This record gives sequence, C-alpha cells and structure tokens, in this order.
Amino acid sequence: MRGCSRQRLIWQKGYCEDRLPLAQFSLTRCRGQDGGTRVECRRVVAMAERRGPCGIGGFGPAGSTGGARAGSSLATGAELEARARSFGGPANSRWLRLGAMEELDGEPTVTLIPGVNSSKKQMCFDWGPGEMLVCETSFNKKEKSETVPGCPFIYIIRKDVDVYSQILRKLFNESHGIFVGLQRIEEELTGKSRKAQLVRVSKNYRSVIRACMEEMHQVAIAAKDPACSCQFSSQVSILSAMELIWNLCEILFIEVAPAGPLLLHLLDWVRLHVCEVDNLLADVLGSENPRKHESFWKLPGTTQTLTELELKWQHWHEECERHLQDGTFASSPHLESLCKIMLGDEAALLEQKELLNNWYHFLVTRLLYSHPTVKPIDLHFYAQSSLDLFLGGESSPEPLDNILMAAFEFDIHQVIKECSIALSNWWFVAHLTDLLDHCKLLQSHNLYFGSNMREFLLLEYASGLFAHHSLWQLGVDYFDYCPELGRVSLELHIERIPLSTEQKALKVLRICEQRQMTEQVRSICKILAMKAVRNNRLGSALSWSIRAKDAAFATLVSDRFLRDYCERGCFSDLDLIDNLGPAMMLSDRLTFLGKYREFHRLYGEKRFVDAASLLLSLMTSQIAPRSFWMTLLTDALPLLEQKQVIFSAEQTYELMRCLEDLTSGRPVHGEPDAQRLQDDDIETTKVEMLRLALARNLARAIIKEGSLEGS
Amino acid sequence: MHDAQMDYYGTRLATCSSDRSVKIFDVRNGGQILIADLRGHEGPVWQVAWAHPMYGNILASCSYDRKVIIWKEENGTWEKTHEHTGHDSSVNSVCWAPHDYGLILACGSSDGAISLLTYTGEGQWEVKKINNAHTIGCNAVSWAPAVVPGSLIDQPSGQKPNYIKKFASGGCDNLVKLWKEEEDGQWKEEQKLEAHSDWVRDVAWAPSIGLPTSTIASCSQDGRVFIWTCDDASGNTWSPKLLHKFNDVVWHVSWSITANILAVSGGDNKVTLWKESVDGQWVCISDVNKGQGSVSTSVTEGQQNEQ
Repeated sequence: MRGCSRQRLIWQKGYCEDRLPLAQFSLTRCRGQDGGTRVECRRVVAMAERRGPCGIGGFGPAGSTGGARAGSSLATGAELEARARSFGGPANSRWLRLGAMEELDGEPTVTLIPGVNSSKKQMCFDWGPGEMLVCETSFNKKEKSETVPGCPFIYIIRKDVDVYSQILRKLFNESHGIFVGLQRIEEELTGKSRKAQLVRVSKNYRSVIRACMEEMHQVAIAAKDPACSCQFSSQVSILSAMELIWNLCEILFIEVAPAGPLLLHLLDWVRLHVCEVDNLLADVLGSENPRKHESFWKLPGTTQTLTELELKWQHWHEECERHLQDGTFASSPHLESLCKIMLGDEAALLEQKELLNNWYHFLVTRLLYSHPTVKPIDLHFYAQSSLDLFLGGESSPEPLDNILMAAFEFDIHQVIKECSIALSNWWFVAHLTDLLDHCKLLQSHNLYFGSNMREFLLLEYASGLFAHHSLWQLGVDYFDYCPELGRVSLELHIERIPLSTEQKALKVLRICEQRQMTEQVRSICKILAMKAVRNNRLGSALSWSIRAKDAAFATLVSDRFLRDYCERGCFSDLDLIDNLGPAMMLSDRLTFLGKYREFHRLYGEKRFVDAASLLLSLMTSQIAPRSFWMTLLTDALPLLEQKQVIFSAEQTYELMRCLEDLTSGRPVHGEPDAQRLQDDDIETTKVEMLRLALARNLARAIIKEGSLEGS
Repeated sequence: MHDAQMDYYGTRLATCSSDRSVKIFDVRNGGQILIADLRGHEGPVWQVAWAHPMYGNILASCSYDRKVIIWKEENGTWEKTHEHTGHDSSVNSVCWAPHDYGLILACGSSDGAISLLTYTGEGQWEVKKINNAHTIGCNAVSWAPAVVPGSLIDQPSGQKPNYIKKFASGGCDNLVKLWKEEEDGQWKEEQKLEAHSDWVRDVAWAPSIGLPTSTIASCSQDGRVFIWTCDDASGNTWSPKLLHKFNDVVWHVSWSITANILAVSGGDNKVTLWKESVDGQWVCISDVNKGQGSVSTSVTEGQQNEQ
C-alpha cells in the first residue's frame, strides 16, 4: 500500500439535495526503465462541503517519501467558470451555478515520465488489459539498452501495483473469503443477532489487517537493505492507519455504541493503537493514587444505567475538585497536576503532550476525565476542539486526521471519499463500503449514489485484480456480487486472461460456463482450437471446436483427419472419434468422419453386411465429400471380393451408379500433364477393377436372390 | 504518425515507425524482448492492428507505401501472409472487425477510399471497396462492437447469426461517417457526423457494456475531442458533446477495455485520461506528461513482478 503521492480516479457523484457533485481521482503509477519516476502531484478534488482541501502525502512520517507536498492551489471563481463552460453547453448550468461555491483546487494530477525524448512531439500509447502502456515513438539513442540497440523506450503505467506484493496477497485472499461469506449470509442476517454478526465480520477484517501488518513488520525487521526495510515499515504504518480507521468506523457505525459503553470502546480503540504510551500513563496514574481510581474502573456499562453512571462519576469528580481546592496536594506539584488531569483540565493534559501521541488520544483522555458519558452525537465537538488544541496552530491536519474527524462527525460519505484519495489501492474502501452497505448505512445517509457507490468501488477493486495472473480468480467473485455492471465487466475482463496452460483455460471455461456466458465460452474454445491446430494436436483441436460448437472449424479439423488417413492409412485419436456421440451432428464433415470410422470398426468386427450398408449410405446420402468417393469405393472392393455375397443386387446397382457418376463428372484439374497421365493411369486401373468387381458381385447377387425363393 | 498496439492478452506489443519496420515485443512481467522485426514496407508504417487470437497470431500493418500487409505467425516465425495493394495513396489506418463477424479488416487511405478485406479461407481474401468515402482522404477507421439483434440462439448447422455490421471513419473532409452493411453485402453511408472544423485524425467506437447506448470518440486537427452518443437502438440520432478543446492537434483517442476511461493524446505533449461522471459530465482524471528530464525525488521501487 502506498501512503505517498498518487492519483485517484475521479468520479462525480450525483446530486443529493444539498450535496454538490464530488470528484475523486484515480492514481496511476509510472515506473521508468531507469528506475526514476515521476514527480509532481497537484491533486484536485472538487468538494461537496465547504471543507478545505486535503493536503497530499501519506500517513505517519510519509510526506517525505517522494510526494511533493504541494499545496493545492485554489482556483478563482473566474477560472472555475471558464473550466465549467468548456465542458460544454447549457446543460452544464448546474456546474456554473455551483461553481462559485465549489473549491476546485486546480489542475488534474500530472504524471511526468522522465527520460523521454521531448524533442519528438508525439507520444503514442495503448491500453492493455488492466494497465496502460505508454511508449515513446522515437528511438532513445542516449540509453544503452541491453536488449536490442534502438528499441523504443516503453513505459508501463499500472493501475494497481499493490496486487504484486507477496504479503498483501494474503490480505486480498483472506478478505475475499470474508467478503463472499458476508454476501452469502445476507439473507440470514435478521433481528438482534444481525448487528452482532456484522460486528464479527468487521472484527474479522481487522484481524486480517493486523495479521498482514505483523508479517510485514517481521519482514521489515529482517530486511537487509535499509531502503527495503524503510519501505516495508511505511507500509506497516499505512496498514496500521487503515486498521485504526476501520476500528473507529466499527465502533461508531456498526457497533453503534451508545453513551457509556461508547467511551469504553474508544478507550480500547486508543489503547490498541497507542498501547506503549498508554502503559506509561497507566503507570503514572496507577502508582500514585490507586484508590481514587478503583471506583471509576469498576464502571462497565451493562450493569448500570447511564444515570447511575453519571451520578457516580459526578460524585467522584466533585471529590477530586474538593481535594484540589483544599490544597491536599499543595506539597507535591506532581500530584497536583495529576489531580488536575483527572479533573479533565485541558491545560494540564496538554502539558503531558509527549505522553499523548496524537490528538485522538488526547480526545479520549479528555473525555475519560471530563465527559465519560459522552453521547455519540456530541463527539465531534470534542473531537474538533481536541484536534485544534493538540495541534495548537503549529501544524495542519494530515489526511488521517481528516478521515478520523469525518468519522467522528458520522459523515460516512466523507470518510469513504477521503480514504479513496489517500490510499493507493481500492481494497480498503471497497470492503469497508460493502460492509457499511450491509449495515444499511449508505441509504440512511442519504447518498444519491447509495449502494451504487458500493458497486462502483467493488468494480474498481476487482478490475485491478484482473491485472494479476492468479488473483483474477478473486475478482470473479466480486463481479458476481455487483448486480448492475458486474456481469458485463466480467465478460470483458475474462476473455483477456492469457490462457497460458490448459489448466488455466479449463478454469476460465468453467467460470464462464457456470455463469452461462456462452459467447465467452465459444470464443475461448475457438482460440484453443486454433492453438491446437497450429501445434498439430488434431484431437485436442477437434474437442475444442466441438465444445465451441464451431461447425466451420470442426469441418476444417475433420478434413485434416481425413487427409491424415489418406496419407498414413490410419486414424489418429481414435478414442475421440469413436466417442463423438451426438456431437457428430455439428458439421457434415464431422458426421462423415465419425461414420467412416464406424465403417472401419464394423469391418474390423466382421459385421460385413452392416459395414456395407453404411458405406453405401455414406455416398448416397451425400455426406461424403466427392473427393473421398474413390477412397470409399476402393474400401468397398474387399467386401465385393468376399466369398459370400454382401452387397445385394440393389446395393450393387447403387454402387455402380456412384462409380459412373464419379467417372463421368470428373472435371479437368490443372495438373501438369505428366502427373495427370500417370494419375489417370492409376485411376483408370482402379475404375476397371471396380467395374469388374461390381459386375461379378451383381451376378452373384442376382443368382443368390433369385434362388432364395426356390430353396 | 506512429503507433503501438498491445495484443489481446497484454503479453505482446507491436510497434511501427518511420524506419519501415514493424517490431513485435514480448512485454510479459514488465520485460521488453524483441521477438520479431518485420520488413516489407517501403515507407513509414502508420498503424498496426492485432486480430483476435481465435484466428491465430495475425497482425495487420499499413503504410505510406500504399500497401496493407497481413503478417501471420506459423511455427514460431512471423511471415507475410497477404499483401493488399488496392489503394492509390498512403493507407493511414487499419482496424479488425469484431471476431464474431469473421476475419475482416477495414483500411482507410489518403485516396479517400476505404477497403474491406474478408478472409474467405485457403489464403484467399475478398476485397470490397468504398470509393470516395471521404474527399481528400480517410484518416481513421473503427468498428462498432458486435451486437446481435434478438437473442443468440444456437445454430447447430453453423450458420452465423444475422449481425448488423457497422464501423466509423474519420476523414480530411472534417467528417465522421458511419457505415453499415446492407443485406446485399454492399456498404452504405448511414450517418454523417459534423462537428469538427478541421481534419478528423482518429475515431474510436467504445466497447459495449450492455447498455443500449452507443458511444464514439473523435479527435481532430482543430484540437477538439467530441463524444458522440446515440441512445436509440436504431442508431439514428447522434448527439455530440465536446470533451475538451486542446491547444494543439489531437492525434489519438482510445477506450479502455471496459470503456470507462478515454485516453487522449495530443500535440501538447500529453496523454490525458477522461472519465464520465454520473450526471453525464466528462472529467479529466489524469495527465500523463512527458518529462523534461529532471527527476527531483525518486521513489525506490522494491516491488518486482512476482510469479
């Protein structure tokens, strides 16, 4: 995952009463052959609220890892109008009217590709499946290329590089299982247990993030290369931030903890993420006045009502104040400041700033000592003031801060948007949004996009997976659960998966067949049939063309089989041809091939009469191609020469007619004369032999049939 | 104008240039290995196009030398399998039809004509020519995605369903024209889309995502890019929407495979990516710019493609 500067996809959300259209950006990466990458990032977001634009840069210490922390440049009203107008026409009046209220930060993100021959004006490009390829059109004469001198300089801009991370792959795999599980139990989620189950799902997701974090942490420690180690560490911090956000969302949106338990959840939340510091604080507090704290720490929400809680706390709070005023701690400034802290005195708390890692730790501590029974709807007041106090005007909020703030304000929409912008991969927002949608929260927050936003994010995430040679299989399931555009997206993507092995092809086919994607099945089978023919694997080619129901191709392959037989005198892939079954009907040529093989089988089993009638029918029914008739008639010879009469008189007449048909209607072929004369000689001999055999058979048949009645 | 095209699976890249060659690279796993260097043209090669893999590995190229060459890979080697010399002037654009129609190639030329080559088997190609498709010259051709009228029922005898074949062309007459194949096999001009004030350089018909609308992008020497949409199934009313007016010639427009992003490349050294929003507005989402050489910070990329 990347916390540093990237670009994100813009999509504009429709209107929802007072909501203005939003835009987000998609980030594309640029990797150079020379190792360097691009620089600038002036990112733009057209905002819905009058909130200030977010800066860019990563979570934690990132900012410095490559992203230019360029301040966003606010466009003036006039610029906005000009831009809006250029989008075309009066239909844009909505833009114009709202233009003045919106804050368009500036230009879209620019990705620079270094080392490109800029004297040549034009840069050509092409889309690949899942990624865009950009290539320089003139040859880069400066670069010493190892491959072939004078190769054009190719850049690949990937939509999603995270799919290639070994460790993150586990995240993708396991979260996929959770996702599918959630979709499946949707119908079973009812009543009271619904919330508990959704919370459980949320915790599952979080544990997966933590596991990934752990692993990456281990790798970071073990890494020998300091640059790698640094990179892994920054990824750990990003995962940690993700878990932090998800956890908060779970508490506020899914668990929906009421006043009382809310603070306890928040305490856990902070403890989980700032445990180190919290231990210190606990030590400081615990060692000094354990007695004073006992009564407080015994206040879990379930056994007492909110009012009881409040009363107890009030009582305790007043006692503390009295001690302070009485000067009980006058002798020890340390104890005095401690008492002030316990009273929730902000100044005192802030004095201990080093112990508090960040403003939300400060927030929870404050709430703990001054408003332990805080209600969810009041949270954001305290959150905002905590942030302001903690930052003290020295620094400005980072993206993470804004996301958490949006959560405290119960602005789900904003949370999702900001996360989309800050993170380099759709994983987080796609899964979180899906879960929130199951909690029926997207509708309740009155989003125009509603559950469409869920689908949008899932589609983007799944598309990214398809760029990967094995993760694409996960993507299939995500598309399945996108009711509007999932199917068509899957159809478009699945055809582009390289069918490098037979197993992979079968896998892809199975997926298509399960979903009745007949067009894709056909197309893939045709591709495989073509491949097989080129590799001279006729049996395989035939079975693929049958599966593709491709009559033309089946005819082509059957012809090859027959040609092979003529040349070698035997069939290849007998098993396949013998077991064609109803598939034989796909094409006339194929039917002929099957029947012809059957003829040989019958002959081999010495069922001569059956073999004979079959042979004849192949010609009379016109299934056999004329070019093959000679071969068939020649095949009839041994049957004519048998001791017993096999062909009846009637049949013999038919055979004779076929022969005459064949010999009389022979067109002139453009063969060289010598060859033709020679062939003609052979042909003539064959024909003569046949005529003789037929005549003899006719005689015997007539006699046999004539005398049957007699004897 | 030069070109590069990825094959169907994104594993190979074909490039063409003014040195008259067509080069094919293997670009799997981020690599760049030259597989073939095809020589046969006598002038700069303008465009290359890969056919659908079900027909094998087939590549078409067109050039200033008035020829269209179709190359095929047999037994691991690339060879010229057909040469089409039916044009009197530079051939500017080639585009393969949707695979459902068979193996059909459309070629647009500076002689104003568009020719359609259909593979009929046994190495034979049938040619149909549309003369005077665009006065002065035709610069681009792009096929509409295959749409089957009615339901797709299995045809056991192997007959092809009745597709209505259409394609779009852009020319030096500043027009985008839509062509339709009639029942008698002749091609007729179905629509004339007028909006540009200078030569149309490229047209791209968007892939279908199952909606009844059709979308075409066109770009021109006048710096404008228009998005044309047609809502009704009969395909009669097309309405243009100006995507953007650039400051310089726009050479190339191209849709991503799910048609959700349009990439536009212009003379102002940029490739911009555009996406349509929910309320029908087009928004630029990214600028892929050519650098001027200096890189201020470098991000170490520890990630390599893994198997």
